[in-house]
Amino acid sequence: MRKFLYLLFFFSPTILFSAGEYRCGLMECDNFEANVSDKASLQRGLSTYMNYCYGCHSLKYSRYKRVAEDLLIPLEMYEDNLIFNGSKIGELMEISLSKDDAINWLGAYPPDLTLEARLRRPDWIYTYLRNYYPDSTRPYGVNNKVYQNVNMPHVLEDMQNSLSVAEYDQVIYDLTNFMTYVADPSAEQRKRIGTYVLLFLVIFTSFAYMTYREFKKDLK
Amino acid sequence: MQPKSPPNPGRRKFLTYTTSFLGLIGAFFTAVPFISAFKPSAKAEAAGAPVKVDVSKLLPGEMMTVEWRGRPVFVVNIPEENTNAITNNLERLADPEMKDPSQPEYAKNEIRSRKKGIAVLTGVCTHLGCAPKYYPEAKPEDFDSNWQGGFFCPCHGSKFDLVGRVYANVPAPTNLVVPPHFFEKDNLLVIGSDGVS
Amino acid sequence: MSENTIGKKSIDWVDKRFPVVDLFERHLSKYYSPSNINIWYLFGFLLLIVLVMQILTGLWLMMNYTNTAEGAFSSIEYIMRDVDYGWLIRYMHAGGASAFFALIYLHMFRGMMYGSYQKPRELIWVGGWFVYVLLCAEGFTGYVLPWGQMSFWAAQVIISLVGSIPYFGEDLAIWIRGDYIVSGITLSRLFAFHVVLLPILIIAVVFFHILALHEIGSNNPDGIEVKKHTDQDGVPLDAKPFFPYDITHDFYALGVFLLIFCTVIFFFPEGGGYIIEYVNYEPANPLSTPAHIVPSWYYTPFYAMLRAIDFPLFGLTAKFLGFVVMAAGIAIFAALPWLDRSPVKSIKYKGIFSKIFLTCFVISFFVLAYLGSVPPTETKNLLAKVFTFLYFSYFLLMPFYTRFEKCKPVPERVGEAA
Repeated sequence: MRKFLYLLFFFSPTILFSAGEYRCGLMECDNFEANVSDKASLQRGLSTYMNYCYGCHSLKYSRYKRVAEDLLIPLEMYEDNLIFNGSKIGELMEISLSKDDAINWLGAYPPDLTLEARLRRPDWIYTYLRNYYPDSTRPYGVNNKVYQNVNMPHVLEDMQNSLSVAEYDQVIYDLTNFMTYVADPSAEQRKRIGTYVLLFLVIFTSFAYMTYREFKKDLK
Repeated sequence: MQPKSPPNPGRRKFLTYTTSFLGLIGAFFTAVPFISAFKPSAKAEAAGAPVKVDVSKLLPGEMMTVEWRGRPVFVVNIPEENTNAITNNLERLADPEMKDPSQPEYAKNEIRSRKKGIAVLTGVCTHLGCAPKYYPEAKPEDFDSNWQGGFFCPCHGSKFDLVGRVYANVPAPTNLVVPPHFFEKDNLLVIGSDGVS
Repeated sequence: MSENTIGKKSIDWVDKRFPVVDLFERHLSKYYSPSNINIWYLFGFLLLIVLVMQILTGLWLMMNYTNTAEGAFSSIEYIMRDVDYGWLIRYMHAGGASAFFALIYLHMFRGMMYGSYQKPRELIWVGGWFVYVLLCAEGFTGYVLPWGQMSFWAAQVIISLVGSIPYFGEDLAIWIRGDYIVSGITLSRLFAFHVVLLPILIIAVVFFHILALHEIGSNNPDGIEVKKHTDQDGVPLDAKPFFPYDITHDFYALGVFLLIFCTVIFFFPEGGGYIIEYVNYEPANPLSTPAHIVPSWYYTPFYAMLRAIDFPLFGLTAKFLGFVVMAAGIAIFAALPWLDRSPVKSIKYKGIFSKIFLTCFVISFFVLAYLGSVPPTETKNLLAKVFTFLYFSYFLLMPFYTRFEKCKPVPERVGEAA
């Protein structure tokens, strides 16, 4: 009977499972595998973010210094090239866009994107940024397959037009990779420590098991 | 059922001790994140980051108070004539040679600073943490008829000279602390960092 | 010789004033457990470990958390980014909550399977049930604290349920919130419950649960009372002392549990959205509800019951009835000792109906858990009704099927034939 219960446990969700709608708007999400140990990619992504996104979208839970250290960028070089608003290196990556100005110019306050990759998942961001299309009915002349009637203009349009498809995809890959990193900056450290913890636990559990077996002999 | 004597006591002992030892190691490493979490966070580090001060507007004899890591730091422009007073008052000081390590190596000199004429002192009395008051002029004061200029702590009457060296026979045990500092440019003082040497 | 050591003397000194040796022997070194207990008897120990872990990690989180609507969300990110190892402490706490429920469900199922709630263990069972109820409240209040979208809307939905109580429900809901909507005021009081009131109650009731257990002794898969047969020293023949037999087993179980737990918190800390919901990475916004609101996985069976009741009855609104059914789904566990009229304890010796109904209960629990986690459709709603009915039939029909079914004879001693 016990086996029967186990079987039911594993199959009950699949019996009732039915396919949902697309997670990426009008289409399936494209496959995206982040690689946050590729520091060069993260640096390129950071540069794209700071130059094209950071004007409107803060990263206010993250600190410049942490990003510089994690991405192996020397602090002085970072201060000179990637801090535009006179902030100190230890400060949070806030923006100076005021709420009133944003609502006047853009109609809404652009959201902070520190946690976007955890909120919407990296593959969504990757697909979204690659699926703008011309639509004359929209205020900025563009629409998006993933996020229908989105308010954000296609800020990378010029770049997309001047680059080959593969080059543009690489830019978006790096940008999404950076956003994946900044959403969860401890991921690399976490997996490294986790590996050691599991190795230790395998040893501990083996000895605990042998000790248990040793004492169990008495009970037979 | 009562416990029995084991068939192989050596093996039993070895396994019990090894498992307990591994358990202790595990407990020790589990404590690491909990202990580390008590260290100053990135936010506290950012708030305690070095402070830059422009000292070009500080006139001779004037003192300015700068906050670094939540404490007052006194920056004093010592006039030319007073720098002489510093050296002729040594017999009244407790530790004129600065044997106590209350200043960085580079400030272990007669002006206790990196730059002649500018003293940088943590404004916290080494007795019980009050902020000493600045009495720059060499003239008789209520607390000292032969005052040579310096700092006087109103709480318990400790006296320090213009570069923060403590007088003998006062409650404060050591000289005022000189924080790490350096001059990034001629008049741009950075408090909280030793700078690049 | 050894009687004169300082250690021995100090113990004697304390023992004359406080029964430390007696307590140690009664609850640990000479606590006897039946020799036939199996892996289902390991979850109590693991639950205790998780409780300690939750208290420790919770304490550390509390040091850096801000309990205001303005500061809560960013204080969580402060913990995750700026505090050294803050991410690990938080993942332990969030993963620990899920582990707590997973273990307590297994622990409860063990009791249902082997009739551990039966005479003379009714109070142990009711105490344990109360721990479970407190844990549900603890989980809910903790879930609100990050003040993300899911936190906010979960609080909104759950507190609105109280509003369904006839006559004074709405006033009661406002009183609980301390505001006309869920706000920083509500957050503050849920925080106080989460970190002070509920933990104190949980520790107190767990203490009671363990004391009551150690007074009566553990049940076992055969449902035999091992204390009936003792040797000349009064030691049960079919039992073994906690030291060293149970503790070595428990430590082995701890290793296996930690392997699973650490795999999750180090490699899948969000648990695919089941431990930390993705939607909760957006700060609370009272003006926009997320597309799918789902409770944490451990509440979904009861959430499905709530949604299944979409019809008014006897002049009561569907909303109130749903609330009542949901509450009853949790409350009814407490009645098990008095619903079960079987002469035997363990499912091993119970008749065919007990086996069928227990299976039905397990199936309905999982199906309802699934249904509660997906958006409702007409078919799914119908299924939820059927399985809610099945869920309750396990409990409500128990006085009948346990009395009339044919049971197998229970052996007198462990390992013997009846």
